[in-house]
Amino acid sequence: MKLLDITLQIYRYKPGEQPHYDTFTVQVEDTAHVIDAIDKVWAEHDHTLTFRRACHHSSCGSCALRINGVEKLPCITRFNEVGDGNIPLRIEPLRNFPIVSDLVVDVSGFFQRMSASDMSITRDAESTLPLSVDNLDSIVQSKAVQLPDNLTHFNRFENCIECGICMSACPTMAVDNKFMGPAGLAAIYCALQKTDDPDEKAHLLALADGEHGIWRCHSAFECTEACPQAVDPAGKIMALRREVTANRFKTTRRS
Amino acid sequence: MATLEQPKLRRAGRWFDVRHRKLGMWAYALNRISGIGLVVYLYLHLVVLSTLSRGPGSWDAFVSLARQPYFLLLDVILLAGILIHGLNGLRIALTSFDVGVKRQKALFSALMLVALVALSAAALKIFGG
Repeated sequence: MKLLDITLQIYRYKPGEQPHYDTFTVQVEDTAHVIDAIDKVWAEHDHTLTFRRACHHSSCGSCALRINGVEKLPCITRFNEVGDGNIPLRIEPLRNFPIVSDLVVDVSGFFQRMSASDMSITRDAESTLPLSVDNLDSIVQSKAVQLPDNLTHFNRFENCIECGICMSACPTMAVDNKFMGPAGLAAIYCALQKTDDPDEKAHLLALADGEHGIWRCHSAFECTEACPQAVDPAGKIMALRREVTANRFKTTRRS
Repeated sequence: MATLEQPKLRRAGRWFDVRHRKLGMWAYALNRISGIGLVVYLYLHLVVLSTLSRGPGSWDAFVSLARQPYFLLLDVILLAGILIHGLNGLRIALTSFDVGVKRQKALFSALMLVALVALSAAALKIFGG
């Protein structure tokens, strides 16, 4: 193990101030991740630096940002993956999100999109809780799971860690604030696979087929390239297009 | 909550920002550039056609101008735009029907190779007479 001197150029913005970059140099182990260096900047140089991080192992998605222009999870990105140590690393917040402060972006719009499909996606094999909404009442009554007072059910989106990286990488998101976005559309596709209810299917297809839905995607495939969890949002969007088109043909033939 | 958002026009610049991006983004940017170029050409074409209304003299003068080598180069650029936009559009149409999604990068490379071969042949024809 050896120590590296890492220089970071970090995007800075506070409400009422002009955005700019601050440069910091910190010493980290060669096996460290980029988030460790950002942590050190906060600890050793500037307590006003704001950024998000929680799990440190690519499970929560909260630390997502851009390193040298590319969306990454700094908690799993090592320095040798993003440079040779001689050139400063440029650390910036995700694109296509309003910036709240420094590296922190407003993700409320992202979660509104994610909830639009009312995803009922569960990672069954890994779940420690029986998540089916159908038998939730009996589970709650049996005290097998304690839900907060205002929560009637909860969902988990398979593989997607809701980091927002796909939304940042998407060039269409840059100009259409209402675009459902790669994660939102992938969520719709996954929800569609999980339901047999014709009304629910029709609702989800209509949601995908809307003005700011699947047809706003212009096939850059950057979301799939950037996704750290191999969710393949672009593939899901294309599959949704096929389903929506097939559904239109079926509807036309019946009428 | 006070947040910072860039103006829409500036954000649109990301359409063409291919730095550190993968092949799909190059395809996206090329499609936009060629698309905008073809729209501009369409209007120029209509302006040129309007010279017909000023009689045969005006048209003949334009035709002799259009036979100059630098004008022929514009023809090659126009053809490049048509080939890139059309063939890339074919990739988008195929992937939109869930065909070749996993191989979209190879599909783009193959189609651009077709465009290059066709453009080279056309350029030889145009400049070779």
